[in-house]
Amino acid sequence: MSGRKAVFNQTTLIDTTPLPADIPAVTEIGASSAPLLSASFFIGARCKPYNDDFMQCKTENPGKGEVECLKEGRRVTRCARSVGRLKRRWQGSRDRARKGGRGPEERRHSYKEVFTDWAYTDRLDDVNKHCLAEFRKHWTCLDNNNQQLWQCRAQEWKLNKCVFDNLKLEKVIPDTPAGETPIHLRTRQTYSHHNSGP
Amino acid sequence: MPQDLPPVGGYEPVQYKRNLPARGFRPSVLLMGVAGIMAFGFYKVGKGIREQNELAREKMWSRIHLIPLLTAEEDRDLVRRHLADQAREKELLGSASSPYNSDRFVRPTYAITPSQKSN
Repeated sequence: MSGRKAVFNQTTLIDTTPLPADIPAVTEIGASSAPLLSASFFIGARCKPYNDDFMQCKTENPGKGEVECLKEGRRVTRCARSVGRLKRRWQGSRDRARKGGRGPEERRHSYKEVFTDWAYTDRLDDVNKHCLAEFRKHWTCLDNNNQQLWQCRAQEWKLNKCVFDNLKLEKVIPDTPAGETPIHLRTRQTYSHHNSGP
Repeated sequence: MPQDLPPVGGYEPVQYKRNLPARGFRPSVLLMGVAGIMAFGFYKVGKGIREQNELAREKMWSRIHLIPLLTAEEDRDLVRRHLADQAREKELLGSASSPYNSDRFVRPTYAITPSQKSN
C-alpha cells in the first residue's frame, strides 16, 4: 500500500483550484496514450535536452523535486507540445464507415459517446501540422491493435518518412545491437497478425 | 509297440520370434529427422526471442521518452493540489502547519472530496 501512487483523477476527487498566479501556466499535452506512443520517439529526439534537464533536476532534489522542478517541467511540456497546435475532433468514424466492418451508425454512436472533444485533441503541433493524416492513421492503428507497435509498421513507416522529410526528426532506438536492422525497419514482423508489406 | 520318436533329422525349429516386416525409416534416420525438426524449432524460437527483446527495447525507450512529460504533468497537478490544500488549511486554521518534520514533498495519501459529486 505504501508504494501506491496517489493519483487523484477520479470523478469525485476533482479539485479545481488553479495554480497560484505567480507560477506560469502551461497548456498540458492533452493527448491520449496512443498519439503519445506514436510520437514518443520524435518527442525524445527533439526534447532530449529538456527531458534530461528535468530528470536531472528531479534526481538532484529528492523528495522536493515536485516543487523545485516546476520550471523544467514546463519546458518539457512546451517542447513536447511543439513536436506535434491543431485541435481536431475525432474523425475515425468516417474512416471506419468507408472501410466497412461494423455498421457505421453503431460506430459513430459509440465513438461519440466514449470520446469527448478534449480527449482526442492530439496536441503535438509540428507533427499535426505536417503529417496529420499519417499521424492519425498510425495512432488509430495503435488504438485498434492494443498499442502493439509491431502491428502498425506500414503506417509507422509512412509517418516516420513524413516526419523525417518535414521535421528532420528520426526514430532511433538506442542500444540496438550493431549489425542488425533496427526492429522498426524490419519488413518481416514475426508477431504481426498481418503482413505489413515492404 | 515301438515308442514315438522324433522324426529322422530332428524336429523343425520352433518359430517363437515375431516375423513382422520392419516398417518406416531406420531408427537412425528417424533420430536425425527428429533432431532436425527440433533444431529448426529452436532456431525459430531463438529468432523470436531476439525479436521480442528488440520489441521490448523499443517499447521501453518509447516510454523513457515520455516519462519526463508525464511526470511533469503529474507533478504540476500534485503541486496545484498541495498548494490548494495549504491555502484551504490556512483559511480554516489560520496557519499552514505541516504534519511532517521535514521539508520534503510528501505525496498526499488522502484527498478532500467535494460533498457532492462534481461533473
